[in-house]
Amino acid sequence: MIFRAVEDTDLIRQAARGNVESYNLLVSRWEKRVYNYLLRITANREDALDLTQDVFLKAYQNLRKLDDPERFAPWLYRIAHNEAYSMFRKRRPEADAEEVEPESTGAAIPVGGCGVFPIELSLAVASALERLSPDQREAVVLKIYQGFKFEEMAAILQCPVSTIKSRLYTALELLKADLAPVKARGVS
Amino acid sequence: MMCPPFDLRDYLLKELSGAEQSAVESHLKGCAACREQLAQLRATEAALFSLRDEEIPQRIAFVSDKIFEPSPFRRWLAAFWGSTARLGFASAAMLSVAIAFSAWHRAPAPATGTGAAAQTAVPAQSATLTREQIDQRIQQAVVKAVAEVENRSAEKTRLELAEYRQTAEDARRQLILAAAELDKSQRRNQLLRVMAMSQPDTAGEAK
Repeated sequence: MIFRAVEDTDLIRQAARGNVESYNLLVSRWEKRVYNYLLRITANREDALDLTQDVFLKAYQNLRKLDDPERFAPWLYRIAHNEAYSMFRKRRPEADAEEVEPESTGAAIPVGGCGVFPIELSLAVASALERLSPDQREAVVLKIYQGFKFEEMAAILQCPVSTIKSRLYTALELLKADLAPVKARGVS
Repeated sequence: MMCPPFDLRDYLLKELSGAEQSAVESHLKGCAACREQLAQLRATEAALFSLRDEEIPQRIAFVSDKIFEPSPFRRWLAAFWGSTARLGFASAAMLSVAIAFSAWHRAPAPATGTGAAAQTAVPAQSATLTREQIDQRIQQAVVKAVAEVENRSAEKTRLELAEYRQTAEDARRQLILAAAELDKSQRRNQLLRVMAMSQPDTAGEAK
């Protein structure tokens, strides 16, 4: 008998054949990451949770349309991105699709701050992220926090890699400038 | 030498190939400015990591409901229509079969003996048909089809008329029978009345 770890692709194939248990296992592997992605772009815990549930439901309904199980992550995040922006549009129906952006929360939420890092730094980072444009923030979230490659980000956001790089590098410059004083005070 | 040979941000974000990574690393050994720039980028990245992921407040799980689950056939059908690759393959296969069938159907029969000339002449003749001849043939076919339809319609009308006549005849006969019955009944009643009128006298005589 040969033992091997159950890959996501195995679970996806079984779930696509209607195996709900496999899908639940797949959800348990991805729910935290998707929730945190949505939390960082919506800056609202309730919205992030509701959207996460919607994302996994929609993903289950459309799982058979996923031709390449290896591309599950970008595909799932594409659904998450669409769900989030669909919610923003519903809340601001007068805005054009391209102009829609998350509502400003007014106060930055230091999502998951703590542990080994001082709270002051977490607050500063959250505040600096809040000051970025929604597109820049999403690029930072997908690259730095979610670890996607540029090609995958392009698939999720449906725009060219050059645009993704431009957004991300501009955001990194802004963050560097914003966070330099905090680091200079020795909290890093 | 370019300074640095590749974008340091791509290097930091691990978007360079192995060879490119090595080129940047060897460059960094001799370039203090690039080392400083990279250190700043790393510090920014480290600061961003001070925000940790939160636990999801409520776990997500789905429950299978047999009532609403599609049958295996429906699942297969949904998967078939949902898969571009399968649909494309099926379409290509159908197209190939259609082309093959068409080619086989239109191909001239192999030449055998004296009939070969006549058999091979048919496609050649059809290929040289003029537009007028084609129109004439179409016209003939249309006339024939219309005549067939009219014949069928006339036959149907004739049958319906015969059936109607039979029904009317039956109804007439039933009416005549009913009239005869009514007449008979009236006569019987009249006879009974006459008998009833003559009965009291008969009773009185008996006393």
